[in-house]
Amino acid sequence: MVRLITHNLLACHAKGCTTNNFPLKLTDIKLALREADFNPDFLRGFLPRIEWDALVQASREIGDTSLPSERPEMLDDDLLKQLHRVLLEASHSHEGSMTCPNCGHVYPISNGIPNMLLAEHEIG
Amino acid sequence: MLPRPYLVVFAQAHEEFRVPELRSVAELHDFPLCIPDDFDPSRPFGVLALEQEVHVQLLARRCILIKSVYELCARGRTYEEVHERNRASRHLWEKYIPNTSFKFVVNGFNHSISKARQREIIEEFSYMGFMGRIDLRSPEITMGCFEEYWDVRCATGNNHKGTGGIREIFFGRLLEQGSARPLIRTFDVKKRQYFGNTSMEAEISLLMANQTLASPGKLIYDPFIGTGSLAYTSAHFGALVFGSDIDGRQMRGKDAQPGIMGAAAQYGVRRRILDLCTFDITRNPWRCGGLFDAIITDPPYGVRAGAKRLGRKEGHACNPAPPLEPRADGQPCIPPTKPYELSALATDLVALARYLLKPGGRLVFFLPTVIDEYEELDLDSMLCDGMQVIANSLQDFGAWGRRLITIRKTTSRLYPPPTFDARRAVHIGDTEGEGDSDIPIHVPAHRDFREKYFQGFKKPTSDA
Repeated sequence: MVRLITHNLLACHAKGCTTNNFPLKLTDIKLALREADFNPDFLRGFLPRIEWDALVQASREIGDTSLPSERPEMLDDDLLKQLHRVLLEASHSHEGSMTCPNCGHVYPISNGIPNMLLAEHEIG
Repeated sequence: MLPRPYLVVFAQAHEEFRVPELRSVAELHDFPLCIPDDFDPSRPFGVLALEQEVHVQLLARRCILIKSVYELCARGRTYEEVHERNRASRHLWEKYIPNTSFKFVVNGFNHSISKARQREIIEEFSYMGFMGRIDLRSPEITMGCFEEYWDVRCATGNNHKGTGGIREIFFGRLLEQGSARPLIRTFDVKKRQYFGNTSMEAEISLLMANQTLASPGKLIYDPFIGTGSLAYTSAHFGALVFGSDIDGRQMRGKDAQPGIMGAAAQYGVRRRILDLCTFDITRNPWRCGGLFDAIITDPPYGVRAGAKRLGRKEGHACNPAPPLEPRADGQPCIPPTKPYELSALATDLVALARYLLKPGGRLVFFLPTVIDEYEELDLDSMLCDGMQVIANSLQDFGAWGRRLITIRKTTSRLYPPPTFDARRAVHIGDTEGEGDSDIPIHVPAHRDFREKYFQGFKKPTSDA
């Protein structure tokens, strides 16, 4: 239930964890599709904000290989639809977790809601 | 085209929200809106100059506070003036003379007009010579006559010669009934599947969504989403919504499906709620800034639910060691929180919005305040470079009130994420040693709002 757009925007933010803290590693992946409004203008506007490599990597982890590995310069109609499906509709888990590749903090996901709270020793 | 005058009949509520809403909807649809100098937002009738009739429709279909819009034929302080000017406006209505079905409505503000008197008033318009059929159910045109009386705080009964006296009379042809206003019933909190005791009422939620310029293709964020009241209305107007809260229980509710998702499904906007996340805005996981078109939020200000942030209360040492064991039930441990004082929260929210908004994006939020103590400086104390207040509307509850603040990000400069380092402005009076007086720091009226609320907004008695 967590969409890949969300995964693409969240980084580990524990105290002192400032490098190699993105993308968070997905565990207990259960692919599901959640519908979302298709809006080409939104996708075009959002493209510069996407960490493309992270999106491609995450989409492959959940079994979708439709995106090109290089960030496209232009979005044609087919690519818009693929990006829409991967970014907004594909969700990686309802119950699971995301783990920081650097410090190992595990952010649990429960009922589709990631818990990004930090523990006391991580806030400094 | 030259702008022409149109009469707007407003709902009799939220006076200070009328003009900001008109301006927002005009900006959303990118048309010029001329609000004349003599426009008085405290009056229920306003005359706007608009270039095209389609602009009238756009306003009436989106503004929550518009009851109806008329093409203005005449206005005046007496009926003599109105009739004289209406004759001069013949070009506006002569095409309806031959065979258009019609009806007349007469309405009073601050005054009720008896049926007999209404009939008299309508008769006086007979010189217009409409030859079409009178049709009270579904006429082709409706002519409206509105008498605005001076506000006298007493009942005037049915006698039209009330004590208030006529202030102004307006006459025109109905163009459009306000079709956004019925949304207030659609989003009625009492009929919502999931809500909490601090859920924002429907009308204000809709007004706030209009202030964000919510529309398809926009991405909107509520950092204190609570039970989602502002997400539903923003999503209704087409925006994609992201929500977070420090307390996951508010978003989740008791069922397996998060409560917010259930209510969103009820309104048909579930596909526009992107995701919900649990975190504290002062310890947020956003990878970068410049993401959102708008931030809409009702921060908890402490009357029913106080704001919290991660950390220990003052005087309690932080425990720097990681917890040894996860909790037995497998639940994540719940970190300690401390109160988040309102003026610090407001300042932080503006700084966070500057970081997270796109250039030109809007921050829309409520700020509670003590009516007698409020000063314009209160807002300046929470602003930062590149953030400009473009609307500030008071909802008055008596001793206290809340201000709906709309701030626009006017800069395209990139700023680093805010530090949230609780730079508590020092109370004037409790600085250590009187000699090293810095420039006195303005203490806004919303500072320590919760304490003031529970003390009944009494002024401190000491004159020290």
